[in-house]
Amino acid sequence: MVKDKATVVVVGGGATGVGILRDLSMRGIDALLIEKLDMVNGASSRYHGLLHSGARYAVRDQEAAKECIEENTILRRIGKSCVEAISGMFVQVEGDDPDFVDPWVKGCAESGIKTREMSKEEALRLEPNLSRKLVRAFEVPDGAIDGFRMSWQNVLSAARYGGRYKTYTELIKINVEGGAVKSITVRDNVTKEEYDIECEILVNAAGPWAGKVAQMAGLDCSVSPSKGTLIAFNQRISNRVVNRLRKPSNGDIFVPHGSITILGTSSITIPDPEDTSTSWDEVEELMKTGEGVFEHLRDYRILRVFAGSRPLYVPKGADGGRNASRGFVTLDHEKEDGLKGMMTICGGKFTTYRLMAEKFCDVLAPKLGNTAKCRTAEEDLVPAVSEADKKAARQYFPSYGVNLAATRLGTDKFPEVVKTLKENPETREVLCECENVTMAEVMRIAQEPTSHSVADVRRRTRLGMGTCQGNYCAIRSAAIANKLFKDKLEGCGDSLSDMKNFLQARWKGITPVMAGKTLREAEMTRGMYEVLFNVNGGRR
Amino acid sequence: MELEERARDSADNCIACTSCVAVCPVTKANPDYRGPKLVGPAHNRMHFSDESDYEDSLKLCSNCKNCDITCPNGVSVATLNMLERAKYYKAHPEKHTQADQMLSHNFQMADMLKSIPFGRSCANLGMSIGEAMGMMGAMGIAPQRKSPRFATKYFRELYKEIKQPEGLTKEVLFFPGCFIDVNDPEVGVAFVKVMNANGYKVLMDDRFKCCGSPLVVGGYLDEARSHADSNVAVINEYAAKNIPVIACCTSCSLMLKAEYTELFAQEEMAQAAKNVYDAFEFLTILADQGELKKVQVSSDKKFIYHAPCHLRAQGMGMPAVDLLKEIGVNIDSADAGCCGMSGSYGFHKENYETSMKIGSELFDKINASGAHKVVCDCGTCREQIKHGTNAKTTHPIQVLAKAYEQ
Ligand SMILES: Cc1cc2nc3c(=O)[nH]c(=O)nc-3n(C[C@H](O)[C@H](O)[C@H](O)COP(=O)(O)OP(=O)(O)OC[C@H]3O[C@@H](n4cnc5c(N)ncnc54)[C@H](O)[C@@H]3O)c2cc1C
Ligand code: SF4
Ligand code: SF4
Repeated sequence: MVKDKATVVVVGGGATGVGILRDLSMRGIDALLIEKLDMVNGASSRYHGLLHSGARYAVRDQEAAKECIEENTILRRIGKSCVEAISGMFVQVEGDDPDFVDPWVKGCAESGIKTREMSKEEALRLEPNLSRKLVRAFEVPDGAIDGFRMSWQNVLSAARYGGRYKTYTELIKINVEGGAVKSITVRDNVTKEEYDIECEILVNAAGPWAGKVAQMAGLDCSVSPSKGTLIAFNQRISNRVVNRLRKPSNGDIFVPHGSITILGTSSITIPDPEDTSTSWDEVEELMKTGEGVFEHLRDYRILRVFAGSRPLYVPKGADGGRNASRGFVTLDHEKEDGLKGMMTICGGKFTTYRLMAEKFCDVLAPKLGNTAKCRTAEEDLVPAVSEADKKAARQYFPSYGVNLAATRLGTDKFPEVVKTLKENPETREVLCECENVTMAEVMRIAQEPTSHSVADVRRRTRLGMGTCQGNYCAIRSAAIANKLFKDKLEGCGDSLSDMKNFLQARWKGITPVMAGKTLREAEMTRGMYEVLFNVNGGRR
Repeated sequence: MELEERARDSADNCIACTSCVAVCPVTKANPDYRGPKLVGPAHNRMHFSDESDYEDSLKLCSNCKNCDITCPNGVSVATLNMLERAKYYKAHPEKHTQADQMLSHNFQMADMLKSIPFGRSCANLGMSIGEAMGMMGAMGIAPQRKSPRFATKYFRELYKEIKQPEGLTKEVLFFPGCFIDVNDPEVGVAFVKVMNANGYKVLMDDRFKCCGSPLVVGGYLDEARSHADSNVAVINEYAAKNIPVIACCTSCSLMLKAEYTELFAQEEMAQAAKNVYDAFEFLTILADQGELKKVQVSSDKKFIYHAPCHLRAQGMGMPAVDLLKEIGVNIDSADAGCCGMSGSYGFHKENYETSMKIGSELFDKINASGAHKVVCDCGTCREQIKHGTNAKTTHPIQVLAKAYEQ
């Protein structure tokens, strides 16, 4: 049954999909984005969060390096509410190939990336935790970018231009008639209802799943999901991105993100992008390399490990993994395979998502007779909450809470939360003490039509993403949030099962690193939920 | 320099178990305080978000260290709080009140008065008049309190008059600390007697400065650092000669033994810490080695003992009460938590109510005990006890000195 209709349907709520939705909407094209689970379910949150300066690619791939620095500059300007405008360092330690430095410096210069060598003393003063085996250090304009906020902000920006989005809506069938895509069949993963959406053009932006989506139309598009594992530490080990100055390899980069640091990453080709498992061995490999940069790395507390899959496009005949191109491709299936009304975009990087969307839409828009120019670099993703509003909000927020809440909530929801905090003092209770999230914010996000479980609230608030990994906020927020959800996710129907699912997902990232400080915390959680609350109903 | 115990890094150990919140006396007495877990380790991760923001209720922390005592994971919560407070005052020196200035720099006042003839008597008279006229309140000091009076002779002056027996071969260096030196020199005198009786000559070194505890609490961290540096240099000099340094004030000894290293993370501080002892800790070691002068008291006068928080924070039990019991003193521990004074904390006007509320359990126990005197190692705890109960107080070293006199 046809229930909906859009000129363009974009499949995939990752960086690539949201970038295209925004671009199309700003060009005045009617577009609808569908995402099978919650927004940013794939690589765009299971990633490192490095806003590349391009320096990492300066030797091997100068074209990518140039794209990165240009987009880095644009995103720092338009994405103030999702980019952490810090800088980065490339450090060489004893044992690293000294001959790598000159070509790297030259490559950066040729790609337009500013580097500045600093003395060892300066480097250690700026980042005191760096290894004393440091040999040389350079400053580069690397930054950090938050995948959750960036993606939601693109979607909300698109919505201002009429763009629409549906989460928990999975493409399950592509309906082709007379050599052209006529409609798609989707499943609502909350209600389990299946229905059709008519469209003129279907955009496959399913990242590492792009091959699977192409198969639904009987096409062969070889995407090789390449899994990368990342370790999140409980605190900021440095205030700058720290890269190892050598030929790019595993475990080379530390990115500080808000209250945490992420170390990564590895690269293993896997058959199924759903595979986000991690193992102690992968952790050990990363830790070994990471210790080269921060020699006391093992003293720092690991919060969790997680993994994501890069959507690497493998041209026929080439092999995958770290050597596959990190560039992206636009496939017009009309030209390639004689199927009208379907295009695929694949590969690329988070950092260049806007440019990818621009180039892609430059091909797509003329097919619809639209000649509007791309404007995505000109306008801020979301307007920033004013300093005056933030200042006024301070009296109701917990300390250190205003800035973070303002960038998460934006100009529409932030004042609403402030109003709730003001009028209803009990909502000032901090439900998540590790990431400083108030009851009012949890309540506001729970009321969003896209929220169906505490995990959905987590992705938009950072609830449960800090030190205790949900130990305290799960029990505090499950009941409050579950009263406010419009539709509840199957399997999370009541607050108890929702709370258990939420903790189970946190647990997944903790299990592979259950040692030392992390183990103590896990044992605390187990003691509380299994012993004290007996949530699993165990009997003697 | 590589120190394992860096306070900032210790925040990483927090498992958010909330035990510290359960034992924090200020959290219990004053709901405005957001509690050690949030203000300490939790906020420590959040400071990046806004350098200009500040947790207002941090000013309510008394640095009593009950959080550190209870923490199962070795988080130096109180020190995290003090470091954060210092950062704030460094950026906002204008926020320091007159009371902060005075209560943190009592040692300056003491030195100044010493140099003026009749300075101390005049100051004491001035204080009485000031208190009567409500001037203390105007300066931010709790008007209900009676400020400790300046002794007409400080310990450093009395020390010079003491004739220690000839021929003592063993030596210890005394760290008197401000309260004993200036307000309660008799404690120092008793200490010299006890040590002499045990064959030790007591040395003094004029280079010692205030341990810096009141400076830390007041947010004057740079000044505290300079005190730490010079005290540590002196201690290490004596350490090289195998002369231990002993304090009778448990806040001083905690500072020298633990807080310097936690706050400033210097190897030489960790080194110095090994050469510092609390008086009864030292005497207990002598007793264990069978070297303590034997004495037995036979009096059924009842004492009650209050264990200062800063003694408990040293993790060595209650050596004073154990030793006194051992020699037959009828003494029991009140076991009533914090007295509420925490050095200069309870002297602040805005903390007075909290301070008295915290102390109420101890006051009740003391009043109900029927003891003739309260024994306590800490000078400001004794002030609080006198204020809250009208009981007579004494330092355990004075009780021991008396026993030796029998
Ligand atoms: C470990 C790792 C580290 C990385 N680090 C960085 C970095 O630091 N900087 C950087 O710039 N880039 C980095 N990248 C690359 C970057 O993350 C990806 O290139 C980018 O996020 C890909 O976005 P995407 O939208 O194409 O894919 P995804 O984010 O995976 O989005 C695809 C979406 O499609 C949805 N979907 C799939 N099938 C269907 C269906 N049938 N119906 C509906 N929806 C469907 C999925 O649920 C998913 O949400 C990293 C990648 C990995 C794996
Ligand atoms: S030092 Fe004392 S007042 Fe401060 S947080 Fe710890 S227990 Fe509470
Ligand atoms: S007692 Fe220690 S581990 Fe527990 S919450 Fe407090 S600081 Fe954290």
